[in-house]
Amino acid sequence: MSILQIQNASKIYGSGHTQVNALKPTHFIAESGELIAVIGPSGSGKSTFLTIAGGLQKPTEGSVLINDQDVTKLNERKRSRIRLREVGFILQASNLIPYLTVENQFRLLDKVKKGNMKPNETENLLKQLGIEDLVKKYPADLSGGEKQRVAIAKALYTKPSLLLADEPTASLDSNRAFEVMSILSLEVKEKNKAAIMVTHDHRLTKYCDKVFTIVDGQLSQTVNEDQTETP
Amino acid sequence: MFLAWNEMKSAKLRFLLIIGVLTLMSYLVFLLSGLANGLAELNREAVDQWGADAIVLSDESNINLPQSSMTIQAAQNISAKDKAQIAQILLVARKSGTKIKESVAITGIQKDQFLMPKISEGRAFTTNNEVVADDSLKADGLKIGDQLNISSSNQKLIIVGFTKNAKFNAASVLYTTQSTVQKIKYGKANASGKGLINGVVLRDPNFAHLKVNSKLKLTPIETFIENMPGYTPQKISLDFMIYFLFVIVSVTIGIFLYVLTIQKVSIFGVMKAQGISSGFLIRSVMAQTFLLALFGVVVGFVLTTITGLFLPAAVPIQLNLPALLVYGLIFILVATLGSLFSVQTIVKIDPVQAIGG
Ligand SMILES: Nc1ncnc2c1ncn2[C@@H]1O[C@H](COP(=O)(O)OP(=O)(O)OP(=O)(O)O)[C@@H](O)[C@H]1O
Ligand SMILES: [Mg+2]
Repeated sequence: MSILQIQNASKIYGSGHTQVNALKPTHFIAESGELIAVIGPSGSGKSTFLTIAGGLQKPTEGSVLINDQDVTKLNERKRSRIRLREVGFILQASNLIPYLTVENQFRLLDKVKKGNMKPNETENLLKQLGIEDLVKKYPADLSGGEKQRVAIAKALYTKPSLLLADEPTASLDSNRAFEVMSILSLEVKEKNKAAIMVTHDHRLTKYCDKVFTIVDGQLSQTVNEDQTETP
Repeated sequence: MFLAWNEMKSAKLRFLLIIGVLTLMSYLVFLLSGLANGLAELNREAVDQWGADAIVLSDESNINLPQSSMTIQAAQNISAKDKAQIAQILLVARKSGTKIKESVAITGIQKDQFLMPKISEGRAFTTNNEVVADDSLKADGLKIGDQLNISSSNQKLIIVGFTKNAKFNAASVLYTTQSTVQKIKYGKANASGKGLINGVVLRDPNFAHLKVNSKLKLTPIETFIENMPGYTPQKISLDFMIYFLFVIVSVTIGIFLYVLTIQKVSIFGVMKAQGISSGFLIRSVMAQTFLLALFGVVVGFVLTTITGLFLPAAVPIQLNLPALLVYGLIFILVATLGSLFSVQTIVKIDPVQAIGG
């Protein structure tokens, strides 16, 4: 079953002289159980692709279907509801609320959505990520890597079917990065989610089922030679 | 509430400062309302004690009791359920042998009619020239047995008792016999003054149906009070100040919250990216304003109450709990309305821009 279908979507920022073709017309499908990597140089359109895939912004042309719902036909209110129910974002910049403690970041999500992780599930996840002792802390008191792991936990907390991660391992050391990758991979396989991950780190692609490269807004699939194991 | 409360806990100083400003504003609203109330009382408390529904005055008096004049004969012809004759003259009285001077409203009544006040100290007047005085005069050093000299008359009055809450148009009332007032007004020798009084006060809920002769005018008691010299302009000015303060409160807190919202655009953007609705964010901003205003009002109320305990008697501030509650509620309401300034900003936040791609 395909969780995400992008049909002929493109994104053009601005107009006239300042026009940027951030995303050239693209077809893309993410099936459930797939962990997909998107690699590309800075400014190539990775974040643009990800925000369009998650219904954060509409493509200039084309359509985006999340669980068979065309989000390009919905208004912001309805897209926002789909993001809340179906999509988990792990953003490039921290997506933590500075005035909430780690545990309250989760409480906030309980305020706006039902059916989130149960306390024991949350506890397991926090242990896996090695942040179970940080629940009383504010984001300002966390290291960059800890923030990133909390952000990952937060994205998984609402049990989304589509996970979108913008460099989730950027400020983690390689051991921690590999651990996070296995958590994501396990999550995707066990719970039949789809995950798309933007990264610079080629070593991480071995955890991924498919690898795409994006250059100047042109997305294309590459053969994943590194794929040696499927955890 | 959740977001609002947690944010306030994590940035205590910032929010305490805002609460401080709101406290001062609510304190000012409360004191002004107390002042408006107190000044109104100065004018009307004696009339309120009468428990009257209407008053009959001469048509020419322009609804002014001291200026009115009518015959006892005419008064007796009024067929109200319960009525009381009143004679009154506004003068300055001086305590004999001292320089203590007071504006007084010497008010002649019939002892067996309902204008007779409750005696809080001493006894009722029994003969001419004995008076029951407003007990606020005690604060100026007057006491039972004191003799009062009167400007423009050689009559001397003697205080035999006190009654509470007897200010009339900012003058202290001295209740006495009708003939005492007549003697002061028209002099001993003038016999024609004998049959004259100023007006008739009525207790009769159906007074509107009463007929009075063409030289007299029947006036509801509230209209009578509003026509007291200075009463209405004073009340309007103070009420206007209070209403204007409410506008200032609304705008001020609106600006505070707008600035806070602008600072939080990227945080709100992150939440919106996650799918948290604008409605939730707006409600949390409004909840925060509500909490801030509530704290401000509660602290302002406590300050006002403490101030009330220490105010010298000469300050005409009268705090009245129902009025304070109403003003407190209006305060919280207008403050919360002020947060609506930020609604448009929150709705317009674009999550993509806010999270910085
Ligand atoms: N809101 C915008 N308005 C105009 N141009 C934009 C906007 N957002 C992105 N761009 C442009 O679109 C192109 C793709 O940007 P994008 O953010 O998707 O890159 P990226 O691959 O995520 O880069 P990085 O690895 O540095 O995060 C860039 O040339 C960028 O300048
Ligand atoms: Mg990017």
